[in-house]
Amino acid sequence: MKINAAKICLAAGATLLLLTEPGGIAQEKLPVGHGHDFTTESYFEPPHDRQIKMRLSGAEVTSLPGSLEDIRQMKLETFGVDGKLTMVVRAPQCTFAPFDGLANSRGHIELQTGDGKFHVEGEGFMWRQNEQFLTISNRVRTVIDMPALKMNAS
Amino acid sequence: MKRIFLLLALGVGGAALAQVPSALPATATATNLPAAKAKSRAPTEITSEAADFDMNIHQAVYRGHVNVRDPEVNLTCDWMVVDLPEKGSHLNHVLADTNVVVDFRDEKGETYHVTSARAVYDYKIVGVETNETVTFSGSPKVVTSQSTIESEPMIWDRARNRFSFIAPKMKSEAGLGGGGDTNAPMLNFLK
Repeated sequence: MKINAAKICLAAGATLLLLTEPGGIAQEKLPVGHGHDFTTESYFEPPHDRQIKMRLSGAEVTSLPGSLEDIRQMKLETFGVDGKLTMVVRAPQCTFAPFDGLANSRGHIELQTGDGKFHVEGEGFMWRQNEQFLTISNRVRTVIDMPALKMNAS
Repeated sequence: MKRIFLLLALGVGGAALAQVPSALPATATATNLPAAKAKSRAPTEITSEAADFDMNIHQAVYRGHVNVRDPEVNLTCDWMVVDLPEKGSHLNHVLADTNVVVDFRDEKGETYHVTSARAVYDYKIVGVETNETVTFSGSPKVVTSQSTIESEPMIWDRARNRFSFIAPKMKSEAGLGGGGDTNAPMLNFLK
């Protein structure tokens, strides 16, 4: 049973990666099932192939009709080749359509850069993988922590 | 001309004044201050009904009841395009469009209420110089406690806290010098 759950989780993770990694190609057959507490990682191409490029985790994944995946407590982290965290995306729930390259939810989404200087949140979103385009539909809030000018600087 | 200077100076609460030759293009009024040193401050917050983020070109488009709150400035408009900075650098280009309203207060406590159809924020460091301007266009108007000034366009030099006007029409609330409207060559006045 554990093996099945792991397979489901890995496959779900692979489908999620298609949504987040430009140029990703679906190789995994979509699972039909349910899994818990999955984490999947992808790596950079050589010569940085020991560095994690992306880590995707979730508390729960469920396959839905129409080749969809329902993910709960999704967390996506991206990293630079230097290993530094570049971005974190969190969504309590989202639905992935990997073959269409779409992810969406009516619920909350949060996105923050690794340095914490740029934070976006809102309610309801659509992510178009092919276009690398995120739409947040309601109550968008962005916080940008940027340096201020020091007047009369010399 | 001295009278115009006086009107403008008094109109913004005893501000200092400077004149720029009218032959200069508007962009020539951009600030050339030494590159500013960064310091920490409260973050800038943007809220809106909806937004699009294009990760390919690092651009955000905010739509519907857009509000930008900054420690120094409050801005509202109908939609706004922000070129997102990379790796935590400073915002360098923002376009606010339709029903633009900007409110801010200077260090002397004077309030400024600016309205226009469009406002473009540009921030650039060239060598050791910092340029930070907001260019208002589309019937821009700035209202202070003592005056109302219209100019097309109107440039707010944030780095130097200075406005630039082209052929401004000014109305003094205090009725100084007759308080009538006036036309003048391109002028700057210092805060």
